[in-house]
Order: sequence, then C-alpha cells, then structure tokens
Amino acid sequence: MSTVYEVFARKARGEPLRHIGWLTAPDDDLARVYAYQMYDEERWFDMWVAPRDRLLEVFNSDRNTALGR
Amino acid sequence: MATTVEAAGLTAAAKEAVRDLILVLADSKRLLGMRYGQWILGAPELEAGIACAAMAQDEWGHARLFYALLKDFGEDVAMLEHGREPHQYASIEALDAEPADWFGFVAMNALVDTALSVQCEALRGSSYAPLAQRVEKLLDEERFHGAHGTAWFNRLARAGGDAADALAAAAEATVPGILRWFGPDSDRARLMVEAGVVDAAGSALRERYLERIGGLLDALGARGAAMRSHAPSFDGFDEARRRVSTTGPDGETVARIRGDKNRMFLVD
Repeated sequence: MSTVYEVFARKARGEPLRHIGWLTAPDDDLARVYAYQMYDEERWFDMWVAPRDRLLEVFNSDRNTALGR
Repeated sequence: MATTVEAAGLTAAAKEAVRDLILVLADSKRLLGMRYGQWILGAPELEAGIACAAMAQDEWGHARLFYALLKDFGEDVAMLEHGREPHQYASIEALDAEPADWFGFVAMNALVDTALSVQCEALRGSSYAPLAQRVEKLLDEERFHGAHGTAWFNRLARAGGDAADALAAAAEATVPGILRWFGPDSDRARLMVEAGVVDAAGSALRERYLERIGGLLDALGARGAAMRSHAPSFDGFDEARRRVSTTGPDGETVARIRGDKNRMFLVD
C-alpha cells in the first residue's frame, strides 16, 4: 500500500515554504528518504513531506466550495 | 593535523597500512556504486530506482575522493581506477556479485553500506588530515543511504512470511563476511590505532558495527540473534585487501568500471 506524499522546501531560513513536487512511498520513513534523493538537485534550507490525504481543502474558486464542501 | 602523508610522520609500516585501507574503501565504494547502479531499473518502485541512482552517484563520488588520495602515496591513480583485473581489487567480498534479488539488494544497502560507513567514521579524527576531511562530507550523504536501507529492511522484515524469510537468508549470506572484513586484532590493527590514523580497528570496530545494525538484527528474531554471535575465522585472511577470496568482483562489472567498451572513443 503506497501513499502519495507532497514535498515542500525552502531556499533559506525565513522564506515561505514552497511546494516542489510529490512522490509515492509505503511509509513515512521511506517518504523522507525518497524526497531527499529525488529533490536534492538544489541546495535547500529545509524540506518537508506530508501525506496528500492529510492536506485539508479550505476553499476552491473553480468549484465554488468553502471549507471543503 | 598533517596534510600530507610525509608530514603525518607515519612509519613505513603505518603508511603502507593507510594506503591499503584507502584502496579497500575506494574499491568497495566503486563496486557498491556499480551494484546500486545495476538496480536503477530493477527496483520495485520508481522512487526506489531514483534512490539507487542517487546512491550510485554518491558512492562513485566517494570512490574518486579516495582514489585521488592515493596520489599522495605515489600511486598511479588512473591505473588503479581503470587498469586493473578483478583479482587485483581490494573491495569487500560481499560486493563480488550483483545481488540476486531485491532482498539481496536491501541486505547490501542496509548492511554492507553501513559497514563501510562505520569504517569511515573511525577516520573522523584521523592524524592524516586529508582522510579526516574527506570522510566528514561523505558521511553526511551516507545518512540517507543508511535511512533507505533501514526503512526497506524494516519494511520487508515487518511483512513477515516469505519476504522476511528471504531477507533473513540474504542477511545470513552477508553478515559473516562483513564481520570478518573488519579484520583481526593484529599488529597492523594496533599500528593504525597507535598512529592515530583510525580510532578503532578489528574487534572494536566489529562491536561498533554490531551495535549499529542491532535494530535490524532484532527485526529478524532468532535468526538475527544467531548472526550477532557469529565469531569470524581469519584463516587465509589477507589483511591488506581484507579478503579471503583471491578472485575478485565479477569480470563483466570490472570491465564496465575500466570502460573497456568505450576505450575506442578515448581521445588524448
């Protein structure tokens, strides 16, 4: 069972976190390793992964939804 | 700290031992890079294949750093890198053949790569400064190799059944040779420690290694415990190359390292 993880990073301390890609991994440990190895072509200050299904929609202008409904 | 082997004031015997150790690490990392490279397209998921490519690149880089150091010892580096036959390699025996399956790959990643890192860590405060400087950067990259190997190892062990059995068999085929690779508590080992080149050798390093892989062996239950208590035999052990086998890595891989097929394209 693999989970989709979104990958975020920033260039320097204090900068906003940027979404830089995604990957699939069977668990959090491998998600961290895969993220490092897939997205290490630039010098990042820090990098984060989060399971896609843990990201909560607040609103979407196209679908005219608010608070995920 | 001394920046050249002459300035380090090593005795002739210590100098030879350091040279041999650097070649062991260079050859082992070159081979490990080849083995990782051979699995870029065979890994069970795309992300693992990318990890193989990244780890292969890292190991090749580490190998080059080590080979380059041998110039300081009067060696012909180009010949060492591209001019030798398999039986002249000093790489760890566990890398002589390509892993037969992904279980063998994971055992290599988690157990062999870690053994090389434990050896490199012993060089962190080396009296021969160029070694100390190089291992620091390299060990930074190795953290992620270790994490990849450990995550996969635990994943397969947790799966139980055939997967855990195959993983245990792969570990059993690998661990005894690695334990022997750290070598006996010999005059050479003592010499290296006394000269401050390494901070531990022989059984002391073996203990460090067993401690490091303790969690992995625990994950294999009784079979892991049996591996932990394995006492290596040093009959026929060549301390310079740290091998018992007098052959070397498979010929096809060595031919690829030498670049035999590309030789016709070489331009001076």
